[in-house]
Amino acid sequence: MDHTYLQDKRILLVDDEQELLDLVISVLHSGGYRQIAPAKTMREALALARQFQPELAILDVMLPDGNGFELMERLRRESDCPVLFLTARGEEEDIFRGFGLGADDYVVKPFLPRELLYRVTAVLRRSYKGERPLVRLKNSAIDFSRAEVVRGGEHIPLTAKEHEILSALCRNAGRIVTIDALCQAAWGDNPFGYENSLMAHIRRIREKIEADPSRPVSLVTAKGLGYKLLVEEK
Amino acid sequence: MKNVLKLVRRFVGLLVLSFVLLSAVDLLFFAGIASRQMRNARPWSTAEAVAAALTETETGPVLSEEGAALLKASGAWAILIDDDTKTVVWHSGDLPDSVPLSYSLSDISDLTRGYIDGCPTFPSGTETGLLVLGFPRTSFWKHQWPSWDYRLIAHAPQLVLAVAAANLLVIFLIYAAANGRLLRSVRPIVEGIQALPSGEPVRLRESGLLSEIALRLNETSQVLQSQKEQLQKRETAQANWIAGVSHDIRTPLSTVMGYAGQLCASPGLAEEDRRRAALILRQSERIRDLVSDLNLASRLEYDMQPLRCREENAVALVRQAAVDFLNSDPEGKYPIEWDTDESLSVCPVRADRELLKRAVANLIQNSIRHNEDGCTIHVSVAKEAGNCLIRMEDDGTGATEEQLAALNTLPHYMACGEDCGEQRHGLGLLLVRQIAASHGGRADIGRSSYGGFAVQITLPLAKDPVS
Repeated sequence: MDHTYLQDKRILLVDDEQELLDLVISVLHSGGYRQIAPAKTMREALALARQFQPELAILDVMLPDGNGFELMERLRRESDCPVLFLTARGEEEDIFRGFGLGADDYVVKPFLPRELLYRVTAVLRRSYKGERPLVRLKNSAIDFSRAEVVRGGEHIPLTAKEHEILSALCRNAGRIVTIDALCQAAWGDNPFGYENSLMAHIRRIREKIEADPSRPVSLVTAKGLGYKLLVEEK
Repeated sequence: MKNVLKLVRRFVGLLVLSFVLLSAVDLLFFAGIASRQMRNARPWSTAEAVAAALTETETGPVLSEEGAALLKASGAWAILIDDDTKTVVWHSGDLPDSVPLSYSLSDISDLTRGYIDGCPTFPSGTETGLLVLGFPRTSFWKHQWPSWDYRLIAHAPQLVLAVAAANLLVIFLIYAAANGRLLRSVRPIVEGIQALPSGEPVRLRESGLLSEIALRLNETSQVLQSQKEQLQKRETAQANWIAGVSHDIRTPLSTVMGYAGQLCASPGLAEEDRRRAALILRQSERIRDLVSDLNLASRLEYDMQPLRCREENAVALVRQAAVDFLNSDPEGKYPIEWDTDESLSVCPVRADRELLKRAVANLIQNSIRHNEDGCTIHVSVAKEAGNCLIRMEDDGTGATEEQLAALNTLPHYMACGEDCGEQRHGLGLLLVRQIAASHGGRADIGRSSYGGFAVQITLPLAKDPVS
């Protein structure tokens, strides 16, 4: 999925291990992210944040002069930038504490480079969704800001439910989203018994985005499990 | 408390039984004595026999030889009182001087009931008068007023039963009064003994009848508490040690995995080098999974893993775990077939969401680890007899009967108290078992109908939130 519009975001990276800083910078570079500022201590990170004005902070929890939770609270006093924890502290209590303080994601070391890239991109996409351009599919494009599908010059409006379902699929483009997660996105908590309604909505979405809705190429079915939206890379 | 009641019931039972047995023995004893007393009718019969042996002759009454012998043998004297004159017309030779020789009707009435000059007397009628035998003074005691109220005799059975019941009540009251204190002392002791196996500390008052036992119980409780604390300390230290090691290993492993991941996607490297980098990455992932499993298994083993159970839909949860795996398997070497009945959209269980997902993920990983050339994994959720059945099967290499038997019967080395270092099957299955057990369920390992391995997790159903 096209995320080039996110690649200029400024990312503050804090970890006390030089090897890990080098690795994460290398991973982020491979994902197209160019503006990365590394720091090894809390003090250094706070000083850097004032000059650099980060749009995403990737923080370790255990730092030589403090901890990542405290650092996040101090960063949040000056900006609302999203925060992703990248730490070896993998106990549930730590994860819940991180999310409880308002973290946007929590990745436990060791991690796969691709997984980290996906998560960074997902956090940025969620945080800066107003900047999202058209999502290009094989036979159409989706304009979420106008809630419409553009196909062959024709503008086809999306209903509120279709918009919710497509947003959930788009957030996880290229990945299967379960029937249950889609029902939850469209109908909220306790979304039991909406499977047939979901199928009806999927059929109508296909009629809008696919050239041949009976042979879908963009919104494909994983039998019994869910659906996957395939978007075109730029 | 239940035991004290049982004790009282048993004691009262014994009491009633003893009472009945004793009453029966008493009756038999009384019957024996009564039968012996029957011979006390002897003076009356002797009187009759002597009267019969007395014949009237012209010279007056004459006692036959048998009559005289009988009289001598009984040690009694005899007089014959004439019906008309009320005077003694005949008497035996040994008549004491103090015995009067003439009687009024009133005297006769008295001697019939009682005594003449302190000698018990027994009369018997003859044709001409009244024969009276007099026995030595201390030979018999006579009932002088042998009359009973008629109603008393008519209600004798009820009276006997009422007296028996009253006796029983009195005995029980005496027992209750005497043993109440003992029972009050026994109750805390029984409660203390019952509390010991639960591991709760026992503090009994060391006074009263059973103070010695209370003291020993308190001491035993203190020893058990101290042992428990020691054991908890050791288990916590062990789990913390494992948690510490797994934490320390994560950062260096991140670097290894990160660079290996980049190298295996690097177009500048030769194919062979990329393959080697991919191997390093795969093995690093195994180390990561092992460390993570070891940490969780030790926390579950030592009850240090908090369970955050809430009502979950097992269908949605298992489906999410399957999809998470599919999303991380872009090569599609391990397709997942969702075999759950289409009509089943909700299967409610009380579960810790993350732990149950971890169990499902471990089973999928298990299929992958044992089938390097790929396999199809069949996942299903079903409701059956109040249980939720989560079934994971594959069409891979599977396991032999011996391997299955070993997996189902031998404990894992982490949960084995003896030397069983050879039992090094994966931690994954141990974790699945631990997670199932911590949710009140179980995991069964077997052969799949698709030819490979099958594991079924059985969990109790929660109340259906939709219905």
